[in-house]
Amino acid sequence: MTRPGEQKLAHLFKPGMFGKFATRNMVKYGACCVSNYNTRDGFITPRELARMRIIANTGCGLITNQGAYPDPLGEGKAYFRQIALFDDKFMPQFETIARYIHDAGAIAIQQILHAGRYGGIDLGYCLQPSVVPQTLPHFRPPREISRDQIRETVRQHADAARRSVRAGFDGTEVTSFMGYLLANFNSRFTNQRTDEYGGSVQNRGRFMRELIDGIKQATPDHPLVIRLNGAELMDNWGGNTEDECFELMQQAVDCGVDMISVTVGWQEAPESSIGRDIAPGHWNYLAAKAKKFFPKTLIAFGNRLPDPVMANECIKNGEFDYWEVCRPLLADPELVHKAAEDRLDETRRCIGSLNCLSRLFRDLPYTCTMNPALGHEVEPEYAITPATVKKKVMVIGAGPAGMECAITASKRGHEVTVFERADRIGGSLLAYATHDLARPDDLFSVLRHYEVMAKKYAIEMKFNTEANAKFMRSMLHQYDVCVVASGARVDMAAHKHLEGAELLVDAHDVALGRFQPGKRVVVLGAGKIGLVLGESMAKRGLQVTLVEEEKRIAGDVMPSFKWRHSAWVEELDIRTLTSSRPKRITAEGVTVVNAKGEETFVAADTVIAAGPRKSNQELFREFEWMIDELHGCGDVLIPRGMDAAIHEGFRLGVRI
Amino acid sequence: MFDDLPAWQAMLDRYQELFSDMLPGSCIGILPRSGTGLMPGKHLAGLSNAEFRLPDGKMLAWEISAEGSGMRADFRACRKFDEARADLLLVPDDAAFEEIRRNLGSDPLSTIKKMIRCGNILFFVMKTRHQLQDAGYEDFLDTLGLAFLGACR
Repeated sequence: MTRPGEQKLAHLFKPGMFGKFATRNMVKYGACCVSNYNTRDGFITPRELARMRIIANTGCGLITNQGAYPDPLGEGKAYFRQIALFDDKFMPQFETIARYIHDAGAIAIQQILHAGRYGGIDLGYCLQPSVVPQTLPHFRPPREISRDQIRETVRQHADAARRSVRAGFDGTEVTSFMGYLLANFNSRFTNQRTDEYGGSVQNRGRFMRELIDGIKQATPDHPLVIRLNGAELMDNWGGNTEDECFELMQQAVDCGVDMISVTVGWQEAPESSIGRDIAPGHWNYLAAKAKKFFPKTLIAFGNRLPDPVMANECIKNGEFDYWEVCRPLLADPELVHKAAEDRLDETRRCIGSLNCLSRLFRDLPYTCTMNPALGHEVEPEYAITPATVKKKVMVIGAGPAGMECAITASKRGHEVTVFERADRIGGSLLAYATHDLARPDDLFSVLRHYEVMAKKYAIEMKFNTEANAKFMRSMLHQYDVCVVASGARVDMAAHKHLEGAELLVDAHDVALGRFQPGKRVVVLGAGKIGLVLGESMAKRGLQVTLVEEEKRIAGDVMPSFKWRHSAWVEELDIRTLTSSRPKRITAEGVTVVNAKGEETFVAADTVIAAGPRKSNQELFREFEWMIDELHGCGDVLIPRGMDAAIHEGFRLGVRI
Repeated sequence: MFDDLPAWQAMLDRYQELFSDMLPGSCIGILPRSGTGLMPGKHLAGLSNAEFRLPDGKMLAWEISAEGSGMRADFRACRKFDEARADLLLVPDDAAFEEIRRNLGSDPLSTIKKMIRCGNILFFVMKTRHQLQDAGYEDFLDTLGLAFLGACR
């Protein structure tokens, strides 16, 4: 331990032992979900290899490669482009990944993932212990797995483990997370069998014990990790209690597993487990309980625990042995190195937007809101390389798009100045983060990251500067490139035909605190701006009504977070009028008309326009003949949101 | 239990717009949990095999009529799970059932949504996502707050 952060986080960076293998620290890269970067028939692609090369070098002591399905039919296949390990033909790329991991000084684990209830993605059915219908439309209708199929499945897992070891992996992992085949057998919800595999906890755990035994026999000298729920969050569906979950862990311990990775929740659980609305550390008690019950078995944990400082503290307190981390390393593959070098302030935090999972459930390759290069590692176009010609770059706007572009361009050697109308970094994100009900700190962390990086790369920040033609004339010939990242605004002009339009208040003014709304508020537009503002006001006790022209609210919200807004709207008793538009605004309220032409009067003392949004593109025309290169990125092109802003800012930054 | 069929129909009539994209024959079944052998909050034993003990052996079915009169409420004989022949199944416990009935005149879909989240109504999907999409279920599922394409949270 020679680096300064390693001394500070001494428990995280102490060496460990996993079976007979020494690990350089107590960090395990978890195979949190599959990438969907591979071929439809299970082969690992160059795109995947490039990503794994980055993951191998994250500095973790243990690295788990994403789950491979073990059966040739694909009954265990959960994602369209999941990797397979049912045949030797897949071996060469696994060998490459194991080599990457070893070359980087880490111990390599291969996860074997039979998705059970969530599998059969290419088939018209899935396999389960019993025929329990799906509760989510994404998944396939169930078929009951026969005893012969159980035996065959165990054999397939053992074969996959054997192949993993032959490919150079040091150990294997089987997973129940988050509702896969192993969990289906363990859980009362999905295991209704009346034979020796169903009924009591002992019987339900039989498949797991046979699986452990099969893999252990196949790879006796190599450690095995099992991922098991500490809580299923499926109580309402008749799932296991926490006590039963720990009984099952006991069975796994008795079978001689080398590590238990404690997880939380099922895909179809009705509550959050890893989303932004769950506070970091919320589930730590489950790991602590496992460690207390099974002191001689290694416990890994990381659900909604994105912070290495907190992880260090947990290890110090004996709550678990290995910090299992995945999404934070997708957001910032340098996280562990930054922790080791005491540069945590430079970390690009996972903000729990679940963009990754939103995309997976659309059968797309996963990407990361915070890390635009994720999944593009194989493409030189996404690499930050020194600029051939060093340029003077001016960026208009210090929101996520502008800052991402500025930082990326600076890393390449350009000299960058950012001009911002407000007095700090943030743009629209700063205005709305304050009102976020989930975890404002996650959003503020994005801004803090930009502040730190702006200093680190000596980006000149000019605040309180309004960019316009006059300003540009004063700058003539001082810069080679201008990047317009001035975002979008609520299009107040779109409402000017309304009777009483002069009474409308701009959502941005309310978000920034420039205007204090009354007690009864109508918000026009129930996209993310209207929702965030409406929820925040309702939380403060204001009576809020949302009026939305579309059939549904939250049209521009990340798919995995729509339910959260719907739930808040309900909890906070916010009235929503969809397929409706305002007709008339008076000092007393708003007359709203729906698609059938029916009018409703909503009493209000404040009417806020939160849509439609319009890009601030005026500067393009004004600057067109004043500078050599003129570019735009983020909402200034099309109003969308933070994800697009960050990605476009980065992509522009790497090619200027 | 379902004797107030006109009240159910009146409720569906108020929401016909929500069902307007659905194809004829699309069907949502409602089975009282007490008649199915699914014990409240505990286990689903017997779901697939046991005979139901539904009141009068009937399931409430909301079905899009072939005649173009929108979503209709009716009864359907149903002795076993397999006989439900519905695209979606709602299985409310007694408390949820009462709550829905109490709110039939106001906003029962919000009640159903809330009760699904609380676990008082079990919700089962009997068709694949593409079948449901093709049959025009997206609006209805969205109204119930159910993630149409997956919900890892």
